[in-house]
Amino acid sequence: MKLKRVLTLRTIVSTSAGLTLASSSFIAAVQVAGFLAGDSAWIAILIGGLLCLAGAACFSELNGRLPSAAGIRLYFSRAFNDRLALVVSLLYMAVIMGVVGAESYVLGNVLTMAVPAVSPLVWIVIMLVAATLLNLRGIKIAGAFQDIITYGLIVSLLVLSFLALNRVGFHLTTPLSPGGAGNLISAVAVGVFLYVGFEWVTPLAEEVTDSRLISRGMLLAVGILSVVYALFTVAMTATAPRTELLASPAPQMVFARHLLGEPGVIWMVAVSLAASATTFNAGLISVSRFVYASAREHVLPPVFSRVSTIFFTPWVAIAGVFAVGLSVSLAVVLTRHYLVLVNLAAAMESIVYALAGLAVLRLRKKNPAAHSPYRVRGGMFIPVMTALVFAGLAVAVALTNIWVGGYLLAGVLLSWWYVSYVVPRIKQKYQVRRPARRRRPAAEPSDPAGCEKT
Amino acid sequence: MASHAEITASLRAFQSGYSKNKRLKIMNRDWDRVVLVKAEDIESEHTLILKDGELSLMEGNNGRADLIVAADSETLADMFYGDITPTEPYMNGTLKITGSEDDIVRLDFISLMIWGE
Repeated sequence: MKLKRVLTLRTIVSTSAGLTLASSSFIAAVQVAGFLAGDSAWIAILIGGLLCLAGAACFSELNGRLPSAAGIRLYFSRAFNDRLALVVSLLYMAVIMGVVGAESYVLGNVLTMAVPAVSPLVWIVIMLVAATLLNLRGIKIAGAFQDIITYGLIVSLLVLSFLALNRVGFHLTTPLSPGGAGNLISAVAVGVFLYVGFEWVTPLAEEVTDSRLISRGMLLAVGILSVVYALFTVAMTATAPRTELLASPAPQMVFARHLLGEPGVIWMVAVSLAASATTFNAGLISVSRFVYASAREHVLPPVFSRVSTIFFTPWVAIAGVFAVGLSVSLAVVLTRHYLVLVNLAAAMESIVYALAGLAVLRLRKKNPAAHSPYRVRGGMFIPVMTALVFAGLAVAVALTNIWVGGYLLAGVLLSWWYVSYVVPRIKQKYQVRRPARRRRPAAEPSDPAGCEKT
Repeated sequence: MASHAEITASLRAFQSGYSKNKRLKIMNRDWDRVVLVKAEDIESEHTLILKDGELSLMEGNNGRADLIVAADSETLADMFYGDITPTEPYMNGTLKITGSEDDIVRLDFISLMIWGE
């Protein structure tokens, strides 16, 4: 069976890398550098990239076995149980909302640096309203436009990196001595944030005829991102004062100003806008569609399944996501705790990757004969390593920042309570409301007439 | 296990529900799509064709699908009769849909508007 329209590898790579490249990534990159001595951040970033490649391999096998836009909801449900899958999915979506909040805060600050007369809060509201209106209209970045944005971003970051490294004559300070092992582990743990979202490309499994393309696309995207992030982070720390970078909510702007002055600022505003556009687009669409789907399966209140009869979009879910996104952004503006959100996302992502490694092992054991176009090579080694290393990294992030550990624990408990006590009540109410009699006749009907034959 | 005739009847019920909904027809007048409905446990294929807001049904596969809806015959019959929502079998992997994400969501919206939650 063939579909009329299919996606190419180029678009799969650009979608995976584009979802991952965000304005808040630069904060995480500088944080990684902050843990390590000299210009050695590239080591932690490349290690993080290699680990995420292992995670991508596990996701590829899961996607090959269960090619569905339901993603982790389906993988974890089949591998473990529905309750755990739901708890993790709800928590993950909540963290993604936090990423959207952090992203809007960073972009708000980027724009205020370019236009100081307008406060970050105003920019945040403008951006969230604009992203929500586009979502309500059902307009999204896809296909060729996604290719242009992502590949344009990658080229821009590479050119800026080479300009910066050329300025210092490619002379780096202790590039091979990151310092103690403890700091390197913390740097790698936070560095996982740089790759948050590469696996969001798995929903495209339903838009390709060969699901191996998704695997190749994810692996290529993580590889490209590793190189780009490593070069750009080293370029930042080599040209701009480290203290200034660490103190700024938009370190990429500090770097651009040091490198090229005002033209650099304009260039970096364009880069940040492009990076945030794909993140907002993917984040808001993914979360609102997840909220809608959850309401349709009676996991969230039915009001969230209401659909706009004009645009065919789930307007209540979109409005709800806007309200939460704005609240998170306001909380970040008031508290300036954007780093907590970045670390929280890194910890949550590590938990999801660890579970993905375990899910591969469980599914192989449960159904060894199942067909999969992609199987991680090396037997159990990569899934086991992925599970252990990412579980360790999640703990490392939680220990580095006590707030992250606290929020994560509270989130798990809240999500578990919701799934255990609230969801059964919503389902019970639905059972009362649903039609008492089935529409489908009990007896087999005779072959209906009037059905054309092809 | 549902029979081919039961799946046909369920699709007829779906088509009838769609045809009675004038608003749905107006909303879909720019959404021309071919949907292949395929049972995985019995020999049964149907093609739903949406053109200019009108929905027609044909038996078999015309080979030009934008969307492919595949599941066991029981799930297909229950789903097109509106006795179950598509989301539950979709989330547990029983129902597989191949096509663009927007088209998949639109199909679910149509089901929601015909049968309610």
